[in-house]
Amino acid sequence: MSTNEKPSKKPGEVDTTGHVWDTNLEEYNNPLPRWWLWGFYATVVFAVVYWILFPAWPVGDGFTKGLNTVTFTEDGEEVTTHWNTRSLLARDMQTGTQAVRQREMLETVGAMEYDEILADVDAMGFVNAYAKGSFGTWCAACHQTGGAGVVEQYPNLRDDHWLWGGTVEKIEETLVLGRLGYMPGYRESLNSDQLEEVASYVLSLNGYEMNDEAVSAGAEIFTGELGGCFQCHGMDAAGRTSQGAPNLTNNIWGLVDVPGAADDAERVARVASYVSGGVQRVMPAFSDRLSPTEIKVLAAYVHSLGGGQ
Amino acid sequence: MSETAATAGSVPASTAVPAEQYNYDIVRKFSIAAVIWGVLGMAAGVWIASQLAWPFLNFDIAQITFGRFRPVHTTLVIFGFGGNALFATSYYIVQRTCQARLYGDRLALFTFYGWNLALVLGVISYTSGITQGREYAEFAWPLDILIAVTWVVYFWVFLMTLMRRSQPHIYVANWFFMAFILATALLHIFNNLQVPVSLTSASSYSLFSGVQDAMTQWWYGHNAVGFFLTAAFLGMMYYFVPKQAGRPIYSYKLSIIHFWALVFLYMWVGAHHLHWTALPDWVSTLAATFSILLLLPSWGGMINGIMTLSGAWHKLRTDPIMLFLITALSFYGMSTFEGPMMSLKSVNALSHYTDWTVGHVHSGALGWVAMITFGSLYHLIPRLWNTKIFSLRLIYIHFFLATIGIVLYIVSMWVAGIGQGLMLRAFDQYGNLAYTFTESVVFLHKPYVVRAIGGGFFLLGMLLMAFNIAMTILTARRAAPVADESRATAASAS
Repeated sequence: MSTNEKPSKKPGEVDTTGHVWDTNLEEYNNPLPRWWLWGFYATVVFAVVYWILFPAWPVGDGFTKGLNTVTFTEDGEEVTTHWNTRSLLARDMQTGTQAVRQREMLETVGAMEYDEILADVDAMGFVNAYAKGSFGTWCAACHQTGGAGVVEQYPNLRDDHWLWGGTVEKIEETLVLGRLGYMPGYRESLNSDQLEEVASYVLSLNGYEMNDEAVSAGAEIFTGELGGCFQCHGMDAAGRTSQGAPNLTNNIWGLVDVPGAADDAERVARVASYVSGGVQRVMPAFSDRLSPTEIKVLAAYVHSLGGGQ
Repeated sequence: MSETAATAGSVPASTAVPAEQYNYDIVRKFSIAAVIWGVLGMAAGVWIASQLAWPFLNFDIAQITFGRFRPVHTTLVIFGFGGNALFATSYYIVQRTCQARLYGDRLALFTFYGWNLALVLGVISYTSGITQGREYAEFAWPLDILIAVTWVVYFWVFLMTLMRRSQPHIYVANWFFMAFILATALLHIFNNLQVPVSLTSASSYSLFSGVQDAMTQWWYGHNAVGFFLTAAFLGMMYYFVPKQAGRPIYSYKLSIIHFWALVFLYMWVGAHHLHWTALPDWVSTLAATFSILLLLPSWGGMINGIMTLSGAWHKLRTDPIMLFLITALSFYGMSTFEGPMMSLKSVNALSHYTDWTVGHVHSGALGWVAMITFGSLYHLIPRLWNTKIFSLRLIYIHFFLATIGIVLYIVSMWVAGIGQGLMLRAFDQYGNLAYTFTESVVFLHKPYVVRAIGGGFFLLGMLLMAFNIAMTILTARRAAPVADESRATAASAS
């Protein structure tokens, strides 16, 4: 390419700077576009106004505070300070429309008795809406969104099968104190035949047809000194909420996946394995994380999930 | 000999001129590396986008989970694809516009192997779980050192080539490349001030802590965008747009003003990534206002590029390369408008921690960086191999695949980000937050599927490009004896 291949100019076009690179790279000497220049000035004005209104430039050990202020209450006294995000949050939590509305509802519900709350449509509307968030934050990690739990791991809160009691007061107690679920493992006190016998007995209580011999041997272990199961589950195996010991006769299986087993042999094996290992699980106490009113709301919510007594 | 002379004579005179005047070999190496890393990096992107839509794709294999593959994606597209393309084009442009051969053949070769070795080792270390945990700077400290050495050599090669120029003036593209090289050196070194746990361990602790550390990371992070992904690609734009258009740059004055405004203002804005955090409020304000001030200087580059084509608009009808370049400038203008808006604290309160940010980054990364690179490589490759592009039609198809991909990507991320932002701040009639975080995640599924599809379109275009370029090079290689001889003839003649 030779230099006379320069791009042709229309008449009236501005000149180039006269520099040429790599055969044909040139630059026009056009002035800055007006709108561009004025646009830039406008952003400068915007920035300066912003700097006047808000904290902006560091000066010495401090910074320019800006003209904007935030007024909020601190230790019962009204404070006016330069604009800053912390005070903004404080003001929002104190006087913001939504925060005020939520606080009023919490106070109202906090002052009500459980039977009043459970009977009041508006209070329960708030409870369900508020608990959706707080249950999601504090409870759903184990009990799952909606409270259905996980078989073999976390209790289902939607059914009528309660380890520690399903009255709203008992639910509150569970939330406040937390719970330690414990059943000893029997692998050292029972041999594998005996484990299977206990398992057969427990299954028979739930309507499964089991070998009669195994059932009666299992009943002996369950209600006798060797197993001592009755101490917690009761002679009738209907459970004791004071011990967190479940009812073993209602065919509800939270910790052993009996319905998922293919046949009797597997059912027995699953229950036996569970009796052999025992269980230790913890629900944390929430008394130091949630206010009494928040706990009250959660208790009413859990009670209303379907199984409240 | 007579046979050689005969074949050499059949090569068009214009293509046989300066073959040995310039070091094209290094440019070829970097160009091919850019295309290979581009394919791999974009494939990694589509992969992790699919994982977000369908989490089972993790397959419970630690090495390919999102957490480890995300830095693989960002590193390969930014530093693999983008970085190699910048090495290639800056080495090409500085030689062409200085009319001087690149300084130090071996040093240049060292930058090629140093840079790409760091990338390979980086990918291996990320997938094995070794990371510094600093966004876009996940390389462990030994690799940081390798990169720093490579970068200083790059600076030296570029500077010495500028010094040997046989042109009185330094072309505008080279200002941008120089700013990019200097700023990147500064950013890389200060962001990676680490205290290694021991000389035999890849782990290290940052020299900074708390909010200072966060500031350092985003000072680096945003200037990686500003100098690596903007200034440097503007350098690319300032050469390939006027070359492809065959027209002079619109305004020399504008190029000076917007260059200095851009390099001055960018350094201040990183903190807008940390609005509404432990960051002091005055730092937030400065970052937001400087981001607003940056809007018009950023647009200076777009105006200069687009107005350069004024009077040659008809080329858009016949030249797909021009389509890439102009579309890149349009997306550049769009995302440099969106960025300052998102940097305002009130807008940021909605957009921050949502996919709007991800969409914004990709309108810049796919729309601007990748498109300008595609256009430049399509211009560059045939010239490097002294041939014609294998298929112009494939460039057209690539252009439309890429554009559709970008639009799907950006729109789905707007929906995802703004939707999630609104959900997280919605209240019910009692003053409670209306949605749990999980509900906002459930909402994200559909936009995530669309995003993955958009990414798939873009990747498909990239694969077509790789094929087109491979065929171009193979075709040139078949005629290689001819080209080589003609180069030799030209060299001996000059």
